[in-house]
Amino acid sequence: MKWMGACLVILGCTGLGRHLACQWTLRLRWLEQLRQMIYFLKGEILYGHAPLGAALEQVGGRCERAESARGCCGLPRFFRSVAKRIGMQEGEIFSDIWKEELAQLKDSPLKEEDLAGLKSLGDHLGYLDLSMQERNLLLYLEHLDGQIEYLRMHRKEKTKLYTSLGVMGGLFLTVAML
Amino acid sequence: MEEMEQVIRLFPQRLRNLLQKADTLRFPAEELRLRIGQPLLMRAWGKEWWLAGREQCWEAATGHAGQEVYRVSEEDIRDTLEFMSRYSLYAYHEELRQGFLTISGGHRIGVAGQVVVEGGRVKNILYASFLNVRIAREVLGCGDDVMPWIYEKGEICSTLIISPPRCGKTTLLRDLIRQVSNGWECKENRQRAKGITVGVVDERSELGACCHGYPQNDLGIRTDVLDACPKAEGMMMLIRSMAPQVVAVDEIGSIQDLEAIRYGKNCGCKLLATIHGQSLEDLQKKPVLREFIQEGTFQRFVILSSRGGAGKVEGIFDAGGRCLKT
Repeated sequence: MKWMGACLVILGCTGLGRHLACQWTLRLRWLEQLRQMIYFLKGEILYGHAPLGAALEQVGGRCERAESARGCCGLPRFFRSVAKRIGMQEGEIFSDIWKEELAQLKDSPLKEEDLAGLKSLGDHLGYLDLSMQERNLLLYLEHLDGQIEYLRMHRKEKTKLYTSLGVMGGLFLTVAML
Repeated sequence: MEEMEQVIRLFPQRLRNLLQKADTLRFPAEELRLRIGQPLLMRAWGKEWWLAGREQCWEAATGHAGQEVYRVSEEDIRDTLEFMSRYSLYAYHEELRQGFLTISGGHRIGVAGQVVVEGGRVKNILYASFLNVRIAREVLGCGDDVMPWIYEKGEICSTLIISPPRCGKTTLLRDLIRQVSNGWECKENRQRAKGITVGVVDERSELGACCHGYPQNDLGIRTDVLDACPKAEGMMMLIRSMAPQVVAVDEIGSIQDLEAIRYGKNCGCKLLATIHGQSLEDLQKKPVLREFIQEGTFQRFVILSSRGGAGKVEGIFDAGGRCLKT
């Protein structure tokens, strides 16, 4: 019984470590997808002169189809739901729609700081002319690049660290409890 | 009042609530005017109305606007413009430079305020302080009285509709396009004409009210539309690519437009066009237009006015200035 309990503690802690390591990888994947979507959005706005609703729907739809096999559809769905809200013409301010729909990403691998960056993008989208849209999107892309770079650089060490910390933590707890 | 419902939905929450409470749906409004610090004015039944009283209801705008009259705030204008452009003013930049934007349903929002000039050209409107929401209406059959006069021996004549603003020239042109495209029959005098291919250059999206390039207004079964395209360039494009028998354009006036019309005429196309003016004599006072009229580019001139309501046909003239119908 004692040994069974010890095994469970070790397995549980290892699982926790693996989960944290996976979260790191997933966050990186989400941010890479977001960067790609922002590039598409930039294209729709700058070259197609598409209004925000149409541009978000187009990008969201395209990425949802592409990502459906991988099951990574949170961001495309977010874009599409913002587009849907714009189409409903309820008379709200764009930044409010963006902020409200952003709530659906709360349980995603994105961290608070990622969501704050995304929220601030929504505060300025649609403001003034095309060159302002371009600068706004480029500024956000720069910010995303920095985050992606950091996550990529530390991915190996962090995943190793989380996994081994999980195993070690499990062993330590087992020894302490025995 | 389907279009009124559509128009109310184009306003941001605050103004929308106000308009809904004031029972705006029962008014066949032609336009709504918003000016910072001034009353919100609506034109309907040939009169002006403003929102007044404790209940903020529509009242005929006469005399001095008192304390209880609703006045438009800076925020109202900003939110309206932002909302009507679907939060994408950048997408309407080229239109805004010309002082208007056309929104879904073909309604036209006139914008005035402080402009930014660069290199002697208007670059943008920086502070929009005045808005004029002109409500577009499709009046099927409004061209019935004009149709018999724009055909001669079964052939359509190039026609120019001359009218001051707000007299229904776009509405009339839209119906003529529809009828020419579908084919037309007059039971009274047994006159009939087969439907022919019409190419429409809809620079301001008012004729077709296109959404993603697809017209929401009925322009007929043989009509091709080039939406949001500059008239002069669009006419050339249509003639080269779609081989229309009739080319239709709204509000011609620039030298480039006239050159493109001349090109169309030389290619054997007939023309349906509108222009701002009071009368034929009025146009002949302008040197470029006089020359153009004398060339015989148009065989029919339809003069409109708003006497007794928009769309009143004051007269139809032939190329020689002979009155065919009053």
